[in-house]
Amino acid sequence: MAVPVDVIPRRPTLLVIVVLSLLFVLMSFSNQTRYVGETRTLFERAVMTIFSPVPRFVNWVGGAAQDIHYGYLDMRRAVNENVELRRKVASLTTENLKLRQSGSDMRRLRSLLAYSEQFEFETSMAETIMLDTAGRFKSIIIDRGSAEGVEVNDVIANANGLIGRVVLTTNDLAKVQLVTDNNCSVGALVERTRRQGVVRGNGGTIVQMFDIPSLADVQPGDRVLTAGIDGIFPKGIPIGNIVRAEPGQSLFKTVTVRPAVDFGKIEEVIVIHTRKIPPLVVRYAP
Amino acid sequence: MRWLRFAIGLLIALTLHSLLDSFYPNALAFFNPYVILVIYYSMGGNILGAIAAGVLAGFVQDAFSNAMFGLHAFSLTVCAYVVASINARLALRGSLAFGACLAGAIIVNELVIYILVNILLKQKIEMFEQALLVKTIFTVLFGMLVYQLLTLFLREEPIEATRSKTAW
Repeated sequence: MAVPVDVIPRRPTLLVIVVLSLLFVLMSFSNQTRYVGETRTLFERAVMTIFSPVPRFVNWVGGAAQDIHYGYLDMRRAVNENVELRRKVASLTTENLKLRQSGSDMRRLRSLLAYSEQFEFETSMAETIMLDTAGRFKSIIIDRGSAEGVEVNDVIANANGLIGRVVLTTNDLAKVQLVTDNNCSVGALVERTRRQGVVRGNGGTIVQMFDIPSLADVQPGDRVLTAGIDGIFPKGIPIGNIVRAEPGQSLFKTVTVRPAVDFGKIEEVIVIHTRKIPPLVVRYAP
Repeated sequence: MRWLRFAIGLLIALTLHSLLDSFYPNALAFFNPYVILVIYYSMGGNILGAIAAGVLAGFVQDAFSNAMFGLHAFSLTVCAYVVASINARLALRGSLAFGACLAGAIIVNELVIYILVNILLKQKIEMFEQALLVKTIFTVLFGMLVYQLLTLFLREEPIEATRSKTAW
């Protein structure tokens, strides 16, 4: 395609020769200054100064992009680490709880063991698997039955005190009547004065001590133990503490005893095998 | 407007130069954005503008490279003059024509640099042929892509924008 004549410059060759000559001189000058240590001429420095914002901006953008990129990677890594650490924390917390539980169990079992060694009877350990302390008939179920030697009228206690007696056994389980049950009676004595009486449950959370004469020295705070006179419960097992001792309408006092055992928190128990008590006595026991 | 476009193009070329230097050092041995800019501008057939573009772009390239100051300005000016002279007589249009001019300009540019370095520094550029081949391929491909994109976005033959009706 032909181009109009007025578009073609008239003396371009002269111009380009002049420009190239000047550039050659500049190059030669620049080449000479390279060897005397002045590697940047004034003109070169001026061009660099004018355009220096561009590389600086590119460098800044590149740095920012790298920061964002690595920041994102670091964040992802941190998030993953966080998830991993949370998992570890959950796992360690569970383990810690288990260890605490084990420690607590061990302390409790040790105290139970130490307590059980006081008895002259054969004892064994059992664990509560069911707890019915809310109803009128207070009972618990333990995980030892006749197969493990548990028999009716075996006494159940823990480190705090008396719990009750076995009223029914199966091969694997045993039902225990608590001392707070309406139908449970225990021969008892006041530790301080050795005054004897009978402790009976009333279906509530506390028990009553009967047959304490009005003139007997019985005060709130006195400790009540089993007396060992009923043919079932061995002597000396703590039943509770007297919380109220008031004169009754007859010859006897009305004595209220708070059980030593918290029946809502029974876990491991000691089964005291009272086999040496004659079966005949057991049969007529309350 | 023509010079504004050139200025923007020069800034983009320098940005590419900086980016490549920052992230892919030595990449400029195989790719030259300044040649694309100068040839694009010279395709308008405006010899005076082409010479000025060659000198300016060359100075910027020299300022930010370790070459003798004026080396690229010289070689780009030669390329710009040749391409502008051809286009002043034959109005070449289209990306293929641009690619052909670009390929020729790259070869001329590298040859001029090779000769000047030999004369002034008494040095021989190693692996010149291989570098020339790679640089030509990459620069031409990238230049044609840029040309197509500019045609698409400017909705006109971009060379028309650099064409001057007045003679020097």
